[in-house]
Amino acid sequence: MLTIKNLEAGYGKVHVLHGISLEVPKGKVVTLIGSNGAGKTTTMRAVSGMIAPTAGEILLNGERIDGMESFAIAKRGLAHSPEGRRVFATMTVTDNLLLGAFPRLTGSRPKGDVAGDLDRAMDLFPRLKERRDQLAGTLSGGEQQMLAMARAVMLNPEVVLLDEPSMGLAPILVEEVFKIIANLKSQGVTMLLVEQFAAAALNVADYGYVLENGRISVHGEASSLKNDPAVKAAYLGGGH
Amino acid sequence: MNRQHFFAAVLGFVLLALVPVFTQNPYYIHLIETIMIYAVLLFGLDIVVGYTGQVSLGHAGLFGIGAYTAGVLFLKVGAPFWVIVPASIAVTAFFGALLALPALRVSGPYLAMVTLAFGTIIQILINEMTFLTEGPMGLKIPKPTVAGYKFNEESFYWVVCAMLALSLLVVHRVLRSQLGRAFEALRGSPVASDCMGVSVYKYKVYAFVISAGFAGLAGCLYAYSEQYISPNTYNNELTVMFLLAIIMGGRKTRLGALLGAAIIVLLPKLLDDLEAFRMVASALAVLMLVGGVIGVSRKITTVKAMAVPVLGTAALAAFSFWLESITDWRLSIFGLMILFVVYYLQDGIVGFARSLLGRRGASQSTVHHVLAAGQGDPILQAVKNTGEDLLVAKQVLMQFGGLKAINQVDLRIKRGTIHGLIGPNGSGKSTMMNVLTGIYVPTAGSIEFEGRSVVGRTSSDIALSGIARTFQNVQLFGEMTALQNVQVGLHHTFESNFLDVALATPRSRREEAAATQRGMGLLAFVGLADLADEQARNLPYGKQRLLEIARALALDPQLLLLDEPAAGLTAPDIKELVSIIRKIRDHGITVILIEHHMDVVMGVCDTVSVLDFGQKIAEGQPAEVQANEKVIEAYLGGTAA
Amino acid sequence: MEILLQLIYSGVALGMIYAVIAFGYQLTFATSDTLNFGQGEALMLGALVALTLVDGMGLNYWLAIPIVCAFGLLQGAVVERIGVRPAIKIKSEFGWIMSTIALGIIFKNVAENVWGRDDLKFPSPLPEAPMKILGANVLPMEILVIAGAVVMMLAVEFFNRKTIYGKAVVATFNDRDAAKLMGINTGLVITFSYALSSLTASFAGMLIAPLTLTGATMGSVLGLKAFAVAIIGGLTSGMGIIVGGIILGVAETTTGFYLSTGYKDVPGLVLLLLVLAVKPAGLFGKSAIKKV
Repeated sequence: MLTIKNLEAGYGKVHVLHGISLEVPKGKVVTLIGSNGAGKTTTMRAVSGMIAPTAGEILLNGERIDGMESFAIAKRGLAHSPEGRRVFATMTVTDNLLLGAFPRLTGSRPKGDVAGDLDRAMDLFPRLKERRDQLAGTLSGGEQQMLAMARAVMLNPEVVLLDEPSMGLAPILVEEVFKIIANLKSQGVTMLLVEQFAAAALNVADYGYVLENGRISVHGEASSLKNDPAVKAAYLGGGH
Repeated sequence: MNRQHFFAAVLGFVLLALVPVFTQNPYYIHLIETIMIYAVLLFGLDIVVGYTGQVSLGHAGLFGIGAYTAGVLFLKVGAPFWVIVPASIAVTAFFGALLALPALRVSGPYLAMVTLAFGTIIQILINEMTFLTEGPMGLKIPKPTVAGYKFNEESFYWVVCAMLALSLLVVHRVLRSQLGRAFEALRGSPVASDCMGVSVYKYKVYAFVISAGFAGLAGCLYAYSEQYISPNTYNNELTVMFLLAIIMGGRKTRLGALLGAAIIVLLPKLLDDLEAFRMVASALAVLMLVGGVIGVSRKITTVKAMAVPVLGTAALAAFSFWLESITDWRLSIFGLMILFVVYYLQDGIVGFARSLLGRRGASQSTVHHVLAAGQGDPILQAVKNTGEDLLVAKQVLMQFGGLKAINQVDLRIKRGTIHGLIGPNGSGKSTMMNVLTGIYVPTAGSIEFEGRSVVGRTSSDIALSGIARTFQNVQLFGEMTALQNVQVGLHHTFESNFLDVALATPRSRREEAAATQRGMGLLAFVGLADLADEQARNLPYGKQRLLEIARALALDPQLLLLDEPAAGLTAPDIKELVSIIRKIRDHGITVILIEHHMDVVMGVCDTVSVLDFGQKIAEGQPAEVQANEKVIEAYLGGTAA
Repeated sequence: MEILLQLIYSGVALGMIYAVIAFGYQLTFATSDTLNFGQGEALMLGALVALTLVDGMGLNYWLAIPIVCAFGLLQGAVVERIGVRPAIKIKSEFGWIMSTIALGIIFKNVAENVWGRDDLKFPSPLPEAPMKILGANVLPMEILVIAGAVVMMLAVEFFNRKTIYGKAVVATFNDRDAAKLMGINTGLVITFSYALSSLTASFAGMLIAPLTLTGATMGSVLGLKAFAVAIIGGLTSGMGIIVGGIILGVAETTTGFYLSTGYKDVPGLVLLLLVLAVKPAGLFGKSAIKKV
């Protein structure tokens, strides 16, 4: 579904990614974990077109999307719930969700049942239902995270990129967020999940990659990675 | 300026001065005189447009104020020349301040809008206030009489020449001084500028007022030169011409200003003569075609990039043959020239020529700085009262809309320690930095530094009171050299003002030399002494981060905030960094260190505070914190679901 | 008293024109942090094109409105393409300021050559006899101006709130990068906001032409004063520009009458400086928190 080959990317003089490769098969949840500064968000941004890679290939359903503009990539079915959530603060929750379905409402993607999907999103995220007419900027951090994820799902996407969904959230909310991710997984949504919280991410994912200083150091089935000491070392130092 | 430039300038002025000797024709003398007068104004305008990067659409109005101050003082009061000149400068500078003080308080195109409005008001006022200015009838001013000698066309020409030389000298001195560095800094990185104690607002206003002074001088000279002034000269068309001159001649160069002045004075004459215009336009089209062919064949440029200029100039030439008169289309020609210059000739003709001749860039300093032997410690010993509270933050709350980025955080930083601040992404560390340095105002809570509250004060004020910082995303002044970057940090050591600089007083020279010495010392401290004259943006990434530290140390801080200094550094760089941090602490300077590299944090910090989702979850010695259950959970996540 | 009321009516009509132009500034500033320094010229072109249609070709005023609006859309798109888009690409504030000024100069010069330098009379579509409201005179055209301006602004607001395309525009204003992730072509949004901005200006030109003299120079000062209104009201508040426009319009008509017509342009410009000095975000604007 989503394939990354030897991706290199960075910001100006700073080279962050030094050639990483990974695969997200259809219907599976793949997680990319690693400490801060390792390059996780840079990877996401390169995939969704927010930054242009300096080398390597990114393929969505066999089509090369590296170097494309984000809106073109979104039209091809790649939804990105960005780091920091980035909801549209002066618009209502409902409008935010509708905008997630923009390509469907404007003919770039098959329309399907937008109104129905809106209702289903509200059911999946009950907190959003209560606040459907509230301005997104007044929501709490956890609620904004729900909104960003729901908005991404509204695209009816081929694959969803979830960028640090737990960032800045209280543990109780983190639990809720991961329950929702598990729920989406059971509905067959293909996801690439980037997370700081290795344990929670590995619990919900099928497969995991560990990013260290811009390179993949370890990868494998999520269940086997959970107990790998290399993972702990990658975060808290000591051991290399 | 170096030897070459100096001799070239002297030669140029000698040639200029000899013009009336070679030609007795008053038309040409007057023409060149006008060019020189415009150049004086443009030197000043370049400071605003070229150096601080602001657009002013009101300089024709300032020019008019200068001219009319001269005219009115002469007509109503009969003031002598040597009173009128400084008066014109002062009055125009005052109006400049009146404009700049409100307009520059916000960033954005406001200055452009306000100065446009100003230019329009001035023209209206001059027209309407007939009791003062004789309105549309205009004012007559004869050439001045000083000590019994009445200046004629020729001798006044030399007065203007002398004024031009003087202006050149003053502008040159200002731009090479701490003022010039401040102007470039505020354009390079406004945030860094404020945090180094150089208030962006203050210096933008300063730049504008200086340029208004020059405009006033030019206006005054213009009045005497023309001997008759009327309001309709000082219109928006003239203001746009001034801007065209700067961008076409080239920003940040004196030669560019002169060239630009020549262009805008000679251009209308050219446009009045259709035959001459046709010749020039055709020649231009041919040149562009030839240049385009050469460029494409040498792979310097592509067909697509050259298509517009080649076709455009060809169309212009064809158009000129079809027309009966070009005068009516003058303004459109100007408009097209502006568009062309803005997109294809961004560095102006002078900049373009420079890039053709070899990549000198806009480096002002061709001097090679060497570290003097045996100088003292560049870093001032901070106050020694190790152990007492230096910074106390109580119940700090920082809320953005519904998001609590910092949620009731208490922080107590002890003098003389290295205090680490760690936490997962989004935990509020960088927000805390920004709150401590005045970039954000906390929603609630108190922060006291050395007993004084920090809340509500401007970043530059906080910086000057002893808190310095580096940035997560490097915020250097890219186009300035490493030494100049550090010298901006040393701005607080200067007491000289504009007059000191303009007159090159002993005080200003002393301070500049001291700043150079100390600057070199600080660079040596971080190991960058041999890169002192390199442009900051050309330095390797690791060295850029060290340069930021040197610049921050220049503020003589009591407290240094380092925001992820090790990010993106290689292992040997990190070792160097750690030893520098230790040396800083040995000078008694307190350090707050935000870092993700655990090895760095654990190895160098005395105390560590851990933030998670905006709250402090642990605090203590590094080893304690590393073993703390809650901390481990915060980073790796608990065994959820 | 009667005269004062009359001045107020004219002032409100004038103020609504300023508000419509200022509205155009807000549209582009919201989505792209840029604005069109030649906005006044867009108004002028709208008026002159309308004049040619109505006076020269004998077309009915009401039928000419959609044509002029279409012209405005085109003109705005051209300005964005040539003047603004390249500047945004090279991230130069200086670039778009100078190029929109340059385009404005070119448009004005072209207008001078095509329509001549003299001011022309625009035939009024409504009877010229004044009506009496609350005892003071109002021209029917002035009422049309007020109504037209309000309708135009409400239409745009409706578009923004109710259609998905309008919401896309607001999203672009909120967060350009996130909008791109939604599949919104933000470059097109910016072009569209410029087109819309020129449309409103051209429409305003058509409205005010019968009330004042129509000519190549009519746009510059109007565009300038609309800046003042945009700043007084705040570059982000719709309500603010209506209030600001009315304040300015009335201040001008009263100054023009009680002081002298030569000075009537001064209050707006002075008000501009005052507001900037005291409350830079405008009377209704909210100062934004800048993130570093």
